[in-house]
Amino acid sequence: MIVYILLALMFFVGLYGIIAKKNIIKIIVGINIVGYASNLLFILLGYKWDGIAPILTENMSITCFVEKAVDPLPQALVLTSIVIDLAFVAFLAALAIRLFEKYGTFDIDKIRRLKG
Amino acid sequence: MNHLIILPVAIYLGAAFLISLLWRKDDKLAGAAAVSFVFLSAVISIISGIDVFTNGKMLYFAGGWEKPLGIVLMLDPLSSIFLIMTNVIAFFIMLYSTVYMKKYTWAPYFYTLFMIMLAGMNGILISMDIFNIYVFFEIASIASFILVAFGLKAEELEASMKYTVMSFIASTMILFAIALIYGFTGTLNIPAFMSEAAGLSPVHLWFLAGLLLSGFALKTALVPFHSWLPDAHSMAPAPVSAILSGMFVKVVGLYVIIRITTNIFITLPQIRVLLLLFGVLSMLFGGLMAYGQQNIKRLYAYSTISQVGYCAIGLGIGGYLGCLGVLMHFIAHAFSKSLLFLNIGAIEYMTGTTEANQLKGLNDRMPVTTLLGSTGMLGIAGVPPMGNFWSKLIIILAAIKAGYPGIAVLCIIVAVITLGYFLKLQRTVYYNRVENPVKKEAPKMLLFPMGVLTLLVFISGILLVPGIKEKTLDRAVSVMENFSYMDIKIGEKR
Repeated sequence: MIVYILLALMFFVGLYGIIAKKNIIKIIVGINIVGYASNLLFILLGYKWDGIAPILTENMSITCFVEKAVDPLPQALVLTSIVIDLAFVAFLAALAIRLFEKYGTFDIDKIRRLKG
Repeated sequence: MNHLIILPVAIYLGAAFLISLLWRKDDKLAGAAAVSFVFLSAVISIISGIDVFTNGKMLYFAGGWEKPLGIVLMLDPLSSIFLIMTNVIAFFIMLYSTVYMKKYTWAPYFYTLFMIMLAGMNGILISMDIFNIYVFFEIASIASFILVAFGLKAEELEASMKYTVMSFIASTMILFAIALIYGFTGTLNIPAFMSEAAGLSPVHLWFLAGLLLSGFALKTALVPFHSWLPDAHSMAPAPVSAILSGMFVKVVGLYVIIRITTNIFITLPQIRVLLLLFGVLSMLFGGLMAYGQQNIKRLYAYSTISQVGYCAIGLGIGGYLGCLGVLMHFIAHAFSKSLLFLNIGAIEYMTGTTEANQLKGLNDRMPVTTLLGSTGMLGIAGVPPMGNFWSKLIIILAAIKAGYPGIAVLCIIVAVITLGYFLKLQRTVYYNRVENPVKKEAPKMLLFPMGVLTLLVFISGILLVPGIKEKTLDRAVSVMENFSYMDIKIGEKR
């Protein structure tokens, strides 16, 4: 249970970074943390304490395997979701560089030409 | 096994790869390749659509793995309508952008990104697996962020930044919902989840539905979640605005919301009240904000919020009339809004501005563009022969019949406001006199796609004619009204 509370804490730290911080780089770091929190949730859902890798060897019965092996599906999903987070962060970092070239600042309060 | 289902996605992904590999130095060849690839998948989607409308749904098991293990792809009348609309509109927008993108450098990258976005949109429509929907959703979204910032002007970068950060929050909500769905039920397949969902407590269901609904409502830009849309849609290049406003918002947002409310969370009909609330708010807010806009593209963007609100209202009301209204309004609005964005793009191409106070007397300068543009405006405002009139009428009738007379009155008021701001725009931009007008019409390749879309705006009401309606819209409505996965048995193989 404590793991899930820590996970929620991590998520809210990231969310705080996205919502409250004014610096684009800090927002990107917040996005990274939120991404890790959602990946960790997936991993925790499939994890078993003292579990084994989900590989069926010759001298292992099916029932033993089902009981002890961790669930491999969330791990496969997390791989995809890591790649998506990577795309987000890479694109935002490139965008931040371009924005700095145009506006000369990372402060989102000063990047405000669009109104209405 | 019918491989027609996966072909559009495969074609678009292949096209993106080929264009960026082979023709990245040659704008003309890249454009021709993009147009022909989109044409190919439009034809394929129409062929598979005819098959779906005559024989019912089409199933595909990715890689030949059956349902408990593999990923199920499905095409039913509802997704088939969206698929055909996406590819047909994308084809005309692609024709348009072969000329329009001459203003920009690196047009081949534009085509590559556009193909990736279309692959994502097509992928959402064929998926029957929640995580698969999420992946294609992200493919389409990330391509669209880059397309919004394609011009690299300061305002475009700012709009893209806002759009990306907001979308990240949406996708996090969706990912959390998916993780919890997997944790609660142990499956991500929509049919399998539906049979498991009956055993969940209402609290769990509400939590899941709330996360999914707010995530996808942010992509649909329903009102509490709308703030990115006016920036992103007004700053993007015109073809991108056209596909974003015309189809992207509906495929990525509305289609998935339709699936969520009518198909997945059947045991929770109360979430429709939320949609009704969002719909009324966005209809009013979008309409009122559009009234005061000076930038024409921004006005169109607010008008999109308002019109998507109508769709949400129809979905919130439900029933036969409500669902029919949603589909019809989505079709009519997709044609007319992409027409309007292409039209303002042509004006920008010739005059270099989209501000209403710098444009005057366009009727004397660009008569054909003016004619097509004002037809599109009257179309969205809902003047009788166009499809939008019938769809708004159906939604209003549905509201009265379901016992929401107040919402029906609001719908009528917003329809009048819509007509008001478009007439005001026409008077200040199109039909006033200037001295010594120089006649300079837009290139024919820009006018042709707009002309075809205008024709489609006019005849989209034909889908409601008895005889055609039973074969097309009614089948899709029956998917929304009483959906059953009973014919997708576990382990069944075609």
